[in-house]
Amino acid sequence: METTLTYEEAYKELAAIAKEIESESVSVDVLAQKVRRASELITWCQTKLRTTEAEVNKIIAQMDKQP
Amino acid sequence: MSTAQPLRLSQLTAAISETLNNVFGHRTFWIVADVTNHTFRPDKNYHNFDLVEKDPASNTLIAKIQAKAWGKGAVSIAEFQTLTGQRFTNNINVLVNVSVNFHPVYGLQLTINAIDSNFTLGLLEAQRLATLARLVRENPEFIRKVGDDFITRNKELALNRVIQNIAVISSKTSAGWQDFRHTLENNHFHYAFTVDDYFTVVQGENNAQQFLTRLIDVFNSAKDYDVVVIIRGGGAQTDFLIFDDYMIGKAIAKFPVPIITGIGHQKNETIADLMAHTPTKTPTKAAEFIVNHNRSFEDAINKFRQNIIIRAQQKFAADFKALGQVNNTIVNKSHNILADHKDKLYTMGTSILTKPRVIVYNKLNDIGQIRSNLNTFSSIYIRNQKSYLAHFVSMIKIASPENTLKRGFAIIKNKNKITSDPDDLAIGNEIGIILADKEITATVTSKKEYDGNDFNV
Repeated sequence: METTLTYEEAYKELAAIAKEIESESVSVDVLAQKVRRASELITWCQTKLRTTEAEVNKIIAQMDKQP
Repeated sequence: MSTAQPLRLSQLTAAISETLNNVFGHRTFWIVADVTNHTFRPDKNYHNFDLVEKDPASNTLIAKIQAKAWGKGAVSIAEFQTLTGQRFTNNINVLVNVSVNFHPVYGLQLTINAIDSNFTLGLLEAQRLATLARLVRENPEFIRKVGDDFITRNKELALNRVIQNIAVISSKTSAGWQDFRHTLENNHFHYAFTVDDYFTVVQGENNAQQFLTRLIDVFNSAKDYDVVVIIRGGGAQTDFLIFDDYMIGKAIAKFPVPIITGIGHQKNETIADLMAHTPTKTPTKAAEFIVNHNRSFEDAINKFRQNIIIRAQQKFAADFKALGQVNNTIVNKSHNILADHKDKLYTMGTSILTKPRVIVYNKLNDIGQIRSNLNTFSSIYIRNQKSYLAHFVSMIKIASPENTLKRGFAIIKNKNKITSDPDDLAIGNEIGIILADKEITATVTSKKEYDGNDFNV
């Protein structure tokens, strides 16, 4: 996955693919390609969210340690 | 030369005393006078001074008398000092209640029974109002009056969000200074402060210049003070007049660092309070104000922190949910699309498998049909042709020369050639006649038109 990708970009792309698939306007020729890309993006987004959440929780915990 | 026996001095003083007593003995008088030559012995609570009256025009003395205050007079003076903020001292104009006394040794004296605080308060207030009016009048660029409030440059300065570096102008011996430091250093929240002391004398109008110098020292220190705190108080509730000084009021109004006052007095706000950024009642309250100010900053920060935590959690929840929905959509829809296409493909496949058979079957059918048609029609055809042929055979048989000859017809030959044209034959020609199975030779003897009906069959 691209290193410069941002969550917003990834999510936008994902939503676009989802819309395409939802409206069934996607051609079967590229369906697998699209789903693979979507799967990559979802994994990437989830990882990004989890790591960010963990990081934020850590920071919050640190904040709580020093009232 | 006197003729009478001389009196002893004590006899004279006794006579004066008696005379004065008779006239003034139990009477008291309210008088207005200025105080001068004042001394005070705190151990005996005893005031000694002169009361004088000056000619307003020439300022020369027109009356002077010794006075003393002790007992209830001294108590009244103490109350006066508390109420007015004015120390009982030289060069003040007072309204006092006096009795006239004569002492054989100390002479004529006035004893102070009471001092009227309101009289002095009125004077002071008039003076204070005059000073305020002058401040507004002479310094329009940094002092103005809006309604009952004074808006000064100092008041319009924004306090830093956190107050940490503090310059304190105070008396070194002031209990107020100790109160301030104690409150500041023992705050509940363990905030740390850097406090620089600028000690001066903060009482007595005459020390205004020294006070001003210290304020200028703060300015010249080039340190980034968050606030300047002016405190006094704790001790005797007297001598606040320095804070009604014109120059001090002006300096405070103009000062570029917010000034907090904690002057610790009971009467109306001093001019210093009115000019300062934030007036508080006491040094302790000044310190509390600073601590609370910092606390409100910390509260705001904590609130931000709380909001950040909540918002972050909400955001994560929403993002995970959105991602999950997208994921579901993609998974389900992809399956649907594939399933749809599979269906279509299956339907198509089925028709592809069955259709050719039908076509071939139909074609075979057609071919069979044609073949059977061929069979049927060809045999009919042949049969017909046969019957036609037979017909022709019989016709031909009928028309054959033999049969014709048998039926009585003869063939004429002229010069060995069969002829059917009578014009070929001339009279005298030798002709052959074939009749039945015999050839006859004859000579033409005559030729004429025939009109018989021998051939009418």
